[in-house]
Amino acid sequence: MSATNAAPQTMRLNAKTVGLWSVLALLVALVGYAAVHELRKATLVVQPQASTHAFSDQRPAHSAAEERFSQALWNIHADVRTAAVRMTFAGLAYKMGDGDRASVNTKVAPLTAVFREAESALRSLDAPASMQETRNRYASALQLYGDASQEMVKVALDGKDAHLLKAQEMSEQASGILLEVGEQLWPGEIKPN
Amino acid sequence: MRQQVIKALAGAALVTLGAFGTGVAQAQNCSAWLVENSRFMGVPFGMFHPDRSYIQGSKEARNNVNTVDLPVNVGVIKCGQELILYDNGWNQTDYHKATGTEHWAPLSQQIAQLGFKAADVSKIIIGHGHWDHAGSLDEFPNAMLYVQAEELRGIEWALNYPGHERIRAHNFDKGGCNRTPACGYPPKTVDAIYGKVLRGKAVIVNGDMEIMPGVKIHAAHRAHTAGSQLLEVPTSVGKLVFGSDAYSSWEAIRDWEVANIQQTDSVQQFLAYEKCYKITGGYQNCVAAHEPLSYTDKYPLTKNSWVGMNGGRLAEIALAPGEASRKK
Repeated sequence: MSATNAAPQTMRLNAKTVGLWSVLALLVALVGYAAVHELRKATLVVQPQASTHAFSDQRPAHSAAEERFSQALWNIHADVRTAAVRMTFAGLAYKMGDGDRASVNTKVAPLTAVFREAESALRSLDAPASMQETRNRYASALQLYGDASQEMVKVALDGKDAHLLKAQEMSEQASGILLEVGEQLWPGEIKPN
Repeated sequence: MRQQVIKALAGAALVTLGAFGTGVAQAQNCSAWLVENSRFMGVPFGMFHPDRSYIQGSKEARNNVNTVDLPVNVGVIKCGQELILYDNGWNQTDYHKATGTEHWAPLSQQIAQLGFKAADVSKIIIGHGHWDHAGSLDEFPNAMLYVQAEELRGIEWALNYPGHERIRAHNFDKGGCNRTPACGYPPKTVDAIYGKVLRGKAVIVNGDMEIMPGVKIHAAHRAHTAGSQLLEVPTSVGKLVFGSDAYSSWEAIRDWEVANIQQTDSVQQFLAYEKCYKITGGYQNCVAAHEPLSYTDKYPLTKNSWVGMNGGRLAEIALAPGEASRKK
């Protein structure tokens, strides 16, 4: 009886053992999966976005001297750009009724000095031969901006829009030159907006 | 009695004429096309649409695209005899080499593919003043420019900000101005806007304005820039709302996510999205400026498309009664 009962008992024990081991194995697998999943999540790295220089520079590499000139002119350029836009907005504000004739003079007169100082700084730069033409182009833009600012302030005296129109034409011409120089020296200067 | 009848008949005739007159003044359906002025190539998706940032190894469709090509879309709208551009692309050829752009062509030549002359453009509504949306003004000397006063004041505010220099930075670093308040307005672009103002060819808009029956400017200030503005246009496919960069991404409008954050207040961008939902009854008719899916079946409004000069694409969105297709 006992012998006859022993086999089923062993079988029951084995079945229990197997069941327990199965459950345990399942738990281990689950824990393992969860751990791997969490670890993977933690190590998933958001791909760094391309830098602000997202677009490739396809121009020939500059020599060290050219690069120095480019960097030095950039430092001048940053102020020039801002001054140019401020000059334009002085006129816009006036035309929008946000200031009187005198305000044009107040806002624009100091900019003449910015453009003239930039010219002076540009002349003092050590430009390699390959950059002489670029320097001359940029100098012509500064001359135009300076002249535009001087023309513009005349509106404070007589209120004639003809001064603003003449100044705007000079300023837009100068702005075009800035783009041409920027295209050569600072690719990627202008970003998609 | 006879006189009374005559008076009554005359009155009825006047009422009828009046109603007819009102009908004429009411909104007419316009025709609308989309022109791809250029395409910015290989832009990191997350830089444009943060919720779609690329995650290495991700199986999620939303996050496994590294870069996208962004069209620069310009709306061409014909309402009766009026030819209107919504946004203006750019023609500063010096830029396109510097920005990884392909398929660029002068906008005046691109609209010639639709049979329109630059001289016939009567109105230009710029969604905002950034260089790639307001950069071809000189090509359309007869057109009246519509720009929000707030757009111009916003730039000036930034330029004259008395605090930290980064706030007023027009362009503080080579390679981009990184979303500073006055970023995106190079001297050439603002000079061209100013030139329009000086020559009496600009309307400085304060808020909303109906520029012709049914064609309405809706202010969307700070939805992309200080003075962003939308344009509602009635067409045979329902009302359209052109959104420039307030609607940079059509998918973002659909999914209520921000996109192309420059000088954007995300709340205002969402309110601009809502404006389109309210006006058009959904998101399908919101016209996006840089949607990568433009000119494909995945952006159904723009799917009726073809390829034009220099590989730039065009789409015919809607035709007014009697207007022949200009699709080539």
